[in-house]
Amino acid sequence: MPYSNLFNDHLTNPRNAGELVEATVVVEETNPICGDRLRLALQINDGRIVAVRFLAYGCPPTIACGSALTELLTGKTIAAALTLTRQEIVAAVGGLPSRKQHAAALALETLRQALGQN
Amino acid sequence: MLPFLTSKFGNPSSVHRYGQEARAAVEGARRDVAELIGARANEIVFVSGGTEANNLAIRGLAESSENHGRHLITSAIEHSSVRGICDALEKRGWQVTRLPVYEDGIVRVDDVRAAIRSDTILISVMLANNEIGTVQPIQEIGKLVLEERTRGNRHLRLHTDAVQAAGRMELNVDELGCDLLSVSAHKLYAPKGTGALYVRRGVRLMPQNAGGHQERERRAGTESVHGIVAFGAAARIAREELGPGTEHVRKLRDRFEQEVAARIHDIVLNGRRDRRLAHLSNISFRFIEGEGLLISLDLQGVAVSTGSACSSGTLEPSPVIQALGRNDELARGSIRFSFGKDNTEEDVDYVLGVLAGSVERLRRLSPLNKALA
Repeated sequence: MPYSNLFNDHLTNPRNAGELVEATVVVEETNPICGDRLRLALQINDGRIVAVRFLAYGCPPTIACGSALTELLTGKTIAAALTLTRQEIVAAVGGLPSRKQHAAALALETLRQALGQN
Repeated sequence: MLPFLTSKFGNPSSVHRYGQEARAAVEGARRDVAELIGARANEIVFVSGGTEANNLAIRGLAESSENHGRHLITSAIEHSSVRGICDALEKRGWQVTRLPVYEDGIVRVDDVRAAIRSDTILISVMLANNEIGTVQPIQEIGKLVLEERTRGNRHLRLHTDAVQAAGRMELNVDELGCDLLSVSAHKLYAPKGTGALYVRRGVRLMPQNAGGHQERERRAGTESVHGIVAFGAAARIAREELGPGTEHVRKLRDRFEQEVAARIHDIVLNGRRDRRLAHLSNISFRFIEGEGLLISLDLQGVAVSTGSACSSGTLEPSPVIQALGRNDELARGSIRFSFGKDNTEEDVDYVLGVLAGSVERLRRLSPLNKALA
């Protein structure tokens, strides 16, 4: 299982896991084919994401991508968050095998839903 | 085994002394493997492993019996090799009946009886399941097959995949009443890459490897001498250690399950508990997904397996767990723990500790958990 140390660290010590009481927006997206789920909660103040929390059910890449996404988003403006790409999420977990790319796609899809830009 | 990788390099088909030395070693191993399952040495065909044994058994029998019928009976929880061969034969025009196993993971003999037709040529049901360890009523099915044959269904044969069972329970082909039986060397702690098919005297198979006289024309190709020699030694040791070895893993497994049930809530044990191999435990953990738990345990030095696979955005929950009537969540959250002869009570304690921690951590992350809490 050729996952990177960075990936394993996200899996073992997920960042920003849980619910967010002060959330501005909460969305939960499901990959209809495999059942992976990602819940993303964002607190947005003056067009800037000030806090992020996630919950995930699914294969390890879904958890790692959710965790990495929260780090990528914290402190970003909405405009900057909208430019995030799937490749950046993949890079943030130290790479993913091709058969697991769908986890990063679910993370991006969930983010876009949250920002109302699907 | 090692000398057969260096100084004893002969090909058993060669007539010179090096060849004959290798031949003698292969035939010795054949006797040892035969003895493990109560067969005659000349009923053993060496192959590359369990998958090839299953292929040769089912495809070989189906192709040689084609004129007598094209109907096969199998179960819903067979190993992927048996499932794959049956699916392939179905595409080529054979008819396949797949028997259910109910919530306890056991095939019912009455279902087998009801499925037999005049054109049924083969019943293939595993002796013990590889994911949940349930032991199937092969002896009773064997009796049924014998009854059917005396009633005129002369071409009906019984195959059993004993890959998971060999070395874990007493095996005797006459008591089981099977015509074909598959075993694999590496399940007996020998190196990977060797297996055997037991073919009862008088049963005809269409060889799946043609073009050589090896293995009495049933499997062409130069034998893997070192692998076969190791297989023979492993079969001998497995027979000697069977009783105490089984009790050792049963003790570890039973305490493990007892402690898991006490420490972790929302779990389901899979497979009928009093008809299982002693070394396997299969548990579904609600709210979480097996692969996450597998990797989490792996990072802490514990190697387990899951029958479910998620790849390229498609999910294949374990067909075995699904066949028990479990929903997708329980099928996805199933983990197989397999205990070996070298495991200790301390190992069990360590696994219990890291397992409880990993399950707890993954559940805290799970939106399913929050939704249902």
